[in-house]
Amino acid sequence: MLLKQAGYRKDKKIIPYLFTSLMWCGGALIFLIFLGLIFELFWQGKQAFSVFGFHFITSTDWNPGEQQFSAGAALVGTLVSSCIGVVLALPLSFGCAYCLNELMPQRFSKYITASIQLLAAIPSIILGMWGFFILVPLMSQYVQPFLKNIFGNVPYIELLFSGGTYGIGILTAGLILAIMITPFITAIMQESFANTPVMLKESAYSLGATRWEVMHQVIVPWVQKGVVGGVVLGWGRALGETMAVTFVIGNAHHASWSLFMPSNTIASLIALEFSESAAGSLKMSSLMALGAVLMVISFVVLFCSQLLLKQVLKSR
Amino acid sequence: MTDNQVAISIQKVDFYYGAYHALRNINFDINAKKVTAMIGPSGCGKSTLLRMLNRMYDLYPNQYAKGNILFDDVNILDKDIDLNILRSRIGMVFQKPTPFSMSIYENIAFGIKLYERPSSARIQEKIETALRQVALWDEVKDRLHRSALGLSGGQQQRLCIARALAVEPEVLLLDEPTSALDPISTAKIEELLDILKEKYTIVLVTHNLQQAARCADNVAFFYSGGLIEVNDAATLFTKPAQAKTHDYITGRFG
Repeated sequence: MLLKQAGYRKDKKIIPYLFTSLMWCGGALIFLIFLGLIFELFWQGKQAFSVFGFHFITSTDWNPGEQQFSAGAALVGTLVSSCIGVVLALPLSFGCAYCLNELMPQRFSKYITASIQLLAAIPSIILGMWGFFILVPLMSQYVQPFLKNIFGNVPYIELLFSGGTYGIGILTAGLILAIMITPFITAIMQESFANTPVMLKESAYSLGATRWEVMHQVIVPWVQKGVVGGVVLGWGRALGETMAVTFVIGNAHHASWSLFMPSNTIASLIALEFSESAAGSLKMSSLMALGAVLMVISFVVLFCSQLLLKQVLKSR
Repeated sequence: MTDNQVAISIQKVDFYYGAYHALRNINFDINAKKVTAMIGPSGCGKSTLLRMLNRMYDLYPNQYAKGNILFDDVNILDKDIDLNILRSRIGMVFQKPTPFSMSIYENIAFGIKLYERPSSARIQEKIETALRQVALWDEVKDRLHRSALGLSGGQQQRLCIARALAVEPEVLLLDEPTSALDPISTAKIEELLDILKEKYTIVLVTHNLQQAARCADNVAFFYSGGLIEVNDAATLFTKPAQAKTHDYITGRFG
């Protein structure tokens, strides 16, 4: 039987076999690195978790003198600053993506698209310095007094804008984060705008719909998935962003309602304290535990957004 | 073609995609409440002409037109035409079904709500009328609030026709409406055209000569950017005046 003939071009079997195994190795390696990372963080952070227990998350104490460490303040700082970043970046990115893909002639939009992508290539330490020297003075002289003027007497909301207008703080960090994640969200949104079927748009126009009606009733539902994807990607970056935030957030170990107060994020706290912690100390273990907490938050964000996405898609 | 009312009069029309001269000096009349088919090989300009009738090309910055297209004694190629109103009077259906990812109900309500804010009873009534016109009502009346994407291709295309009709246009432009459909769905849509032409002026672009022969009252044959011949369907298909038309309908090219 020709089909079962032995010895016929053995390399025909070996090469695909080798190739498949290599691919398997590659896939497995990524997964192993991922598991190793998580394990290492929890293992090194074990001491902190066992000493402080649940208080590690809920407390805001950070006092190396008394060997008191906790994630609370940095956790709040991380969540609030990244949320501000996302909330500011979302409309900006949407506007950019819509304008570039739908309104602007291509001969202009390609240059602007390129420059937005270049923005993503700016090292975060440069943005940090820029933030410190340019953004912080602007915030303290104009933006923060302005916000205080508007919201200063509104019950409850005034809490968010209380305190001195020093320029540094969570709001400024959020602003820097917004600038940093806008290119990513814009790129993903542009992709989904470009994927909207031309015929679908045209059929809405053919019914006599205006640009606005076509955008919010046809294009936006279509790009929803891309928008959520972009937000998740941006938020993930914002959660872990270190250098730029470290420059402008003020690095204070406390949580407050005010967005003007200096605070801390998990990433900036680790970056600042790591070199001052002895190996094997409770402080080092606390920093590792902080890393583990950050990772968990990132997963939760990712997971929730997937869930949200499924819900959104199911409802239509 | 005497004693027919002219719905749209196309006069000395040229069309350009940037530097490319896609249509040259087109002149002909589209009769009211008839089916006019535009046929010709790919790239001959028939879809381009169709897209001029509702100014769809206006969405694209490099495309422009010259000449006059008179509709209701107004040149619709004029700059100051209100495109939204024009498109509400001249509806369009595309090559592929294009339901929006909404419910069947919302798909049709979308068009209606662009022009008025009727009571929900009135909307319901208009939706039923539109769906009955395309013989879809009985098939979907129990699932109006389910996603339109769950319908079959043929049903989706009839939904798209219903969506265009719900705006109450006078003219319906069909750009190869059955090219993505199976023969049974195609037959249903062709039957529909016969009924719809009692109320609407229909302009049909098609690659399918049999379809043009079956459905159209008048046929216009385009070739490489020019209008070669326009006549009533029977004459054009049996005694074409031009050699090119003869070659095309006998299958020598295209």
